[in-house]
Amino acid sequence: MSNKRVVLNTKNHKLMIHETATSYLFMLPFMIFFVGFVLYPMFMCVYTSFFDATMGREDIFVGFANYVQLSKDPVFWKGLWNTLIIVLVSVPVTCAFSLWVASAISKMPVAATSAFRCIFYLPVVTGSVAVTVVWKWMFNNYYGIFNYLGNNLGLFDERINWLGDERFALGCIIMILLTTSVGQPIVLYVSALDNVDKSLVEAAEVDGATQMQAFWKIKWPQMMPTTLYILVITTINSFQCFALIQLLTSGGPNNSTMTIMYYIYYNAFKLYKYGYGNAMGVILAIIIAILSAVQFKLGQEK
Amino acid sequence: MKKIIALALALVMVLGLAACSVEKTEAPAPTAAPAATEAPKAEAPAATEAAAAPVEISLWTFPVGKWGEEATVNGWIEAFQAEYPHITVKVEYLDYQAGDDKLNTAIEGGQAPDLIFEGPERLIAQYAARGLLLDLTDLKETAGGKGLYPSIVNTCSIDGKMYAFPISQMAHCMVINRDIFEKADALKYLNEETGTWNSVDDYFNAIQAVYDSGHKDVMTIYCGGQGGDQGTRHMISCPAGNTPWSNPEHTQYTFATQANADILARFYAQDGVSFDPAIVAGDEINLFVQGVLAMGNCWNATLYNNNKDAINFNVLPMAFPTDEAAPALAGGFYCLGVFDNKDAARAEAAKTFIEWMTSDDAIYTEAVLAAGQWPTRDLGVDLYAGDEVMSQYGKFAPWFGDYYQITKGWAEFRTEMWNALQRIAKTDGSSAAILAELEAAQTAANAAASAQ
Repeated sequence: MSNKRVVLNTKNHKLMIHETATSYLFMLPFMIFFVGFVLYPMFMCVYTSFFDATMGREDIFVGFANYVQLSKDPVFWKGLWNTLIIVLVSVPVTCAFSLWVASAISKMPVAATSAFRCIFYLPVVTGSVAVTVVWKWMFNNYYGIFNYLGNNLGLFDERINWLGDERFALGCIIMILLTTSVGQPIVLYVSALDNVDKSLVEAAEVDGATQMQAFWKIKWPQMMPTTLYILVITTINSFQCFALIQLLTSGGPNNSTMTIMYYIYYNAFKLYKYGYGNAMGVILAIIIAILSAVQFKLGQEK
Repeated sequence: MKKIIALALALVMVLGLAACSVEKTEAPAPTAAPAATEAPKAEAPAATEAAAAPVEISLWTFPVGKWGEEATVNGWIEAFQAEYPHITVKVEYLDYQAGDDKLNTAIEGGQAPDLIFEGPERLIAQYAARGLLLDLTDLKETAGGKGLYPSIVNTCSIDGKMYAFPISQMAHCMVINRDIFEKADALKYLNEETGTWNSVDDYFNAIQAVYDSGHKDVMTIYCGGQGGDQGTRHMISCPAGNTPWSNPEHTQYTFATQANADILARFYAQDGVSFDPAIVAGDEINLFVQGVLAMGNCWNATLYNNNKDAINFNVLPMAFPTDEAAPALAGGFYCLGVFDNKDAARAEAAKTFIEWMTSDDAIYTEAVLAAGQWPTRDLGVDLYAGDEVMSQYGKFAPWFGDYYQITKGWAEFRTEMWNALQRIAKTDGSSAAILAELEAAQTAANAAASAQ
């Protein structure tokens, strides 16, 4: 009896090892990719941030000097401030607007819902360069449609240099970012609304709940995982706002649209300050990680 | 678990981009002096062809005239490969929007091209100064190298060693919409024959006349980025009295002068002139070509050729105004450089290509004409004889000023300069305030120059 158990255990153990090994083999291609293109670059980013690294010579270890320099760099702080403004405006607006649109179109006939989903998703699938160029035309100081409409409708007399005026440039960037950010959340919210347990909603309505009450008490909690996902993704995208800045303003005028991502790029690829750029990348990653953790914590509590 | 995955995702997305710039461990050893590596001497064609093993080299070219067109460049490659069948040349066409990034990423990844066609401000100030280019001094002794104009060779050299082979040259100039000027009766302020302004005062009189005629957008001082910034620089330095941008040794910047501040103050106060941080030179060119702006500060023969089909008015290329004997214009030189890829066979093949392209007058002439520019040595013939338009541009060649674009810290200087113009736009326009901004920019640029 005892010998039989040992034989069975040994067989189970071998089977387990075999299955585990097979599982890891299946995972191996992804793991190689993950290590080579994710973990290694992450490690090198942190590592390089402690060096004075530039093109054409060996790196010089400088300890925390890049971080100290960052703390004294007014453009970095300006970029951080602008980035936070972009995040603080675009994330709630994107979420609220997406939820509003999704709520409206999810009640429509299927064909209409699909059509609206396509329309709102178009800026997402259109190349960011193409979208940006079109916006650049519309904001053009000399022949842009916004100045044309503004002048002809009597809204303002003088032309406004939308992207060349510190008062408007960041607002324009945020507006464009919103148009390209709402597509995916709308699709996700429409899907989440479809998945809400309708029997619960009907039961609440039978019990006399208003539409608003049914939404906040029944639908909203069931959509919380989707909301959490949208919040995190939108926050990360807003922090990483780059292409718009590069194509429209290069961070100007007077750094009024400078963001951390663009400043990283500028230092690393234009001024060849690789160590300094990586130090900024580390700081930005830490900020995003903290914010994401807070969002998850708050989301779970809800 | 979800939290961990989300946090990892956030970190990955941010660190991924920053880490793209991580220095390769194969970086060459620190170099006190630029590129100590001696390139192998290019062998005589016959000997090379007879004994050589197959070798593949890459040529990356910026869109300088037809150097950016496959039909033109492929023709050369086919002709070259017919003569040197063991050498295969792969061509990559860059643009000015993303070309720099692509090139820098390739260099950092150890995948630099063998041959690069660009100006000395990149080849010398950025790459040769960092020891990334091969010394091509021995090519000065080839048939194509013997007659090179010494002043141009100097712009391609560091400490007497030539790191880029100059192929073509032209002068950057400004341009006016002749039709608008004629309508405004402003042609009296300039000399169409010589392409010069009667005086700096008359230059401003002309701007005022055009503005008064009803064309309110006469000129813009674009400062949205560094592209084409030679235009705004010479728009300042020529009327300010050909003020130098750097010291003669090209080690420190010297542009924070009262004269430059005064001329900027004059622009600030001038009707029809605006500082525009929303546009760069490319936008200014488009606005000029569309007839929106009456004047352009970023212009040259190549730009004219690229845009002539879209222009439906008479253009008049002009030198920047000055009260000196002659304006000190910016020279635009284009060269072939060879990256030090630590491969003797590829280096030799790259040099063979340069020698092939420059030693035969007929092939060299083709290369120069493709750029829409002028030769860097005396060919004994006027390439544009009978071409009235190109002859207009050719007359600026004697007015090249110092080629200060090879001063150290060039990338930082350019950034400082267009940012300074943006800040100047926000001042009260007084000379003192403008000078303060120029001084701030100069201090930062010189700090970068000293650090390099």
